[in-house]
Amino acid sequence: MLNFDVLVIGSGGSGMRAALEAIRQQGVSVGLMTKMFPTRSATGCAQGGINGSLQHADPTDTIEKHFFDTVKGSDYLGDQDAIEYFVRHMPNAIRELDYFGVPFSRDEEGRIAQRNFGGASSPRTCFSADVTGQVILHTLYEQCLKYGVQFLSEWYLLQVVVDQEQLCGVVAYDLKGGRIVPIAAKAIVVATGGSGRMYWTRTTNPFSSTGDGMAACFNAGIPLKDPEFVQFHPTGLAGTGILMSEASRGEGGYLVNNLGERFMARYAPEKMELATRDLVSQAIETEIKEGRGFGEGLSAYVQLDLRHRGRETILERLPQIRDLAITFEQVDPIEKPIPIRPSCHYSMGGIDVIDYRTCATAVEGVYAVGEAACITIHGANRLGGNSLADIIAFGKFAGKGAADCARQRSMLSSDIVDLGARLWEVKFLAVTSRKSGASITSIRDRLAEIMWNNVGVFRTASEMAVALQVVDGLVEEYQNIIVSDQNKVYNTAFVNYIELGSMLTVAKAVVLGAHNRQESRGSHYRADFPNRDDENFLKHTIVTKQGSTYNISYRPVVVTTYQPTERKY
Amino acid sequence: MRQITYKIERSDGAKSFVAAYSFPYQPGKTVLWGLITIKETIDPTLAFTASCRSAICGACAVRVNGQALLACETPLDAMLERFGDTLTIGPIQNFKVIRDIVVDWEAKTKHLTESKTWLIPKDEFNALQGCHQSAADFKQINTQASCILCGSCASECAKLTASDQDFLEPFTYSKVWKLVADTRDKSAPERLKAILDKGLWKCMHCVECVTKCPKGLAPGEDIARLRRLSIKLGYTNSIGAGHAIAFRKDIEDTGRLNEIKLTLRSIGLLGSIAKFPLALRLLRRGKLNPFHFPGKVKGHAQIQAILKAVRESDQK
Repeated sequence: MLNFDVLVIGSGGSGMRAALEAIRQQGVSVGLMTKMFPTRSATGCAQGGINGSLQHADPTDTIEKHFFDTVKGSDYLGDQDAIEYFVRHMPNAIRELDYFGVPFSRDEEGRIAQRNFGGASSPRTCFSADVTGQVILHTLYEQCLKYGVQFLSEWYLLQVVVDQEQLCGVVAYDLKGGRIVPIAAKAIVVATGGSGRMYWTRTTNPFSSTGDGMAACFNAGIPLKDPEFVQFHPTGLAGTGILMSEASRGEGGYLVNNLGERFMARYAPEKMELATRDLVSQAIETEIKEGRGFGEGLSAYVQLDLRHRGRETILERLPQIRDLAITFEQVDPIEKPIPIRPSCHYSMGGIDVIDYRTCATAVEGVYAVGEAACITIHGANRLGGNSLADIIAFGKFAGKGAADCARQRSMLSSDIVDLGARLWEVKFLAVTSRKSGASITSIRDRLAEIMWNNVGVFRTASEMAVALQVVDGLVEEYQNIIVSDQNKVYNTAFVNYIELGSMLTVAKAVVLGAHNRQESRGSHYRADFPNRDDENFLKHTIVTKQGSTYNISYRPVVVTTYQPTERKY
Repeated sequence: MRQITYKIERSDGAKSFVAAYSFPYQPGKTVLWGLITIKETIDPTLAFTASCRSAICGACAVRVNGQALLACETPLDAMLERFGDTLTIGPIQNFKVIRDIVVDWEAKTKHLTESKTWLIPKDEFNALQGCHQSAADFKQINTQASCILCGSCASECAKLTASDQDFLEPFTYSKVWKLVADTRDKSAPERLKAILDKGLWKCMHCVECVTKCPKGLAPGEDIARLRRLSIKLGYTNSIGAGHAIAFRKDIEDTGRLNEIKLTLRSIGLLGSIAKFPLALRLLRRGKLNPFHFPGKVKGHAQIQAILKAVRESDQK
């Protein structure tokens, strides 16, 4: 049977950084399995930059300031021991990226350049023009090639096989080879990214962000932590959810409703369009809900008007925003306002990591990192520039953690992995030969609609109760879905089928977590509980699954240095 | 209602076929929208890859009527206006096809590894402190670093289409140039030596890689940069380098090319003898006159002035 000491699943920044660290530990065999060619990952979409207190742009910046900004940004839900560990390691982690070859933009002294970002008290976001994620991703890929990481490119994770809380291995679908393969592993690092696609067209995420690793771990008995915390970015394109960067508001864009009003005057009369992401998102959704938007249903929108900024400014300072608006909405912002609406942007919650130094989960041998994981340093709201930072810092720790674990563990009996693979063979035949049932798209679209309308920017108990029923109904329908492609070679319909299952599995945890959290904190806004409630909810949601039953429990937040106070910007 | 048709060059992993799909036109959509519409409403067996839908992940490169492009960012209206309401869509060329529009990157990845396309930092730098680089030097590698490995350049490359046995993908040369030009890297000579016999002088200057790159790279120009540097570093012992040097010398001396001298200088006497049959054929057709040695062209001084200006700007 194919086997690895360390098998990394997912080839975004966190997965590649983990694989690189594991193989640099010497003496362990390392595989990296990914459902698409490695450099197709969501990391590439990150434009802005990566946070670390290098003190290049601002000599008065400190590790402590980065620490506090992150704690405050998290609305005090981040674990402070983990956040402190994270910010302390960031400067070295970024310098190491430089040494790996990441082409950073430079300041006048030839040091890595840094700029301002939302929620940061000093300019500490290192960047490479507006393609920071893409160049980090490609540089890590180069390093993985250098060190001889064995890539299993276009291998899809079907199952994490666990026996008595011990990892045995995984079952994978080799798309190119057209076969289902059992893989034994001493340790795995789950780095499969977020689950934003449960909101389908209303997300900035790539098609591949379907929560595969979250669902596979959850099904294998590992809890999900804080799943209800989903960040919504206020300015996604109306039709596709594609991100219009924060610069569009930073450069003075107006948000306008169907009455021609700059409606932010009602919600943030001082800051207007420059209020925080969560506040602006909530304002836009209120306008739409109260009938002051354009269009209807999932495609309703408000307008982002840049015309008053003039042709010159738009061409010079917002060229990418103009390109995207023209390509994807056929709107030239020089002449017309851009239709926009909030879009799901990031999953703060994820696979429950119980040791931030190694990224270990409760199951021996299973490690989780990146957007798939919840460590948690982002708490209820992630700061811009902290996601690339997260994957680089913790990718390294996870790689080392998994390699250390692999050295101490022996491979468990592979019979159970083999059996798992054979059951998947049977399942493949059964679902692909089915002749009637709901289609993948029908269930997917209804999931997105109910998640957006009832578990989106605004949440209330009654709407979420309805959402729970709808999701349960969809899970039921999913059991008899049709896939309609029997070819085993590169069967993307079958992949979409499993992805939908993952989204349903995680979505239910999001609804439950959100329903039970009777307070508003960070990205989680309860219209029926508009205030933060530290007395009852300064704690992490832990969702576990037994059979098909989801159970909720809570775990205290680690507070070491900063006592929770009201979050004001 | 207006219908549009995608004729898709498909294969199921074993046999190839063409399938035509017609669906209702919608304004303001992309080529990728059409593929998704087919998969979701007509034929779920159609296989293609796409992910970010904003031209940064490189997954959705396809060929539309013989042109490689990113399906996600290409407006459908523009294509329909140019080609009419039926488009022919296939996988990018010069890749092994796995199924339908999905291609295999494994062989290409091997070329990246063989060409050591990763930074080999200078000894003055270390992992703890990182590196130093001026803002101007960063700008030298900025463009090449934005390659997204979509494969469009390789798809339309005339040389690869003719033979892929002695040539690398254009993006690989751009990556090598990026590292050669990176002031943090210490291995420029080794990198050049390594690609000399990997087709550095085989590029046919069709410029397809430059016009097809969706991210504004110009691999053909990077190949030219690598060639110039290789000559500067003294790697002149190849046919390609010899040819380039002879070419320039001819232009410098007389302002015109002398094919016989060019051949002798490029591939030497023995090599030239081997080309004798070709010379005979050219002779017979009146395309070669061994007894014609024309003098300098009119305006030769201006040509020399141009060459001087080029040399000076190159040194800058």
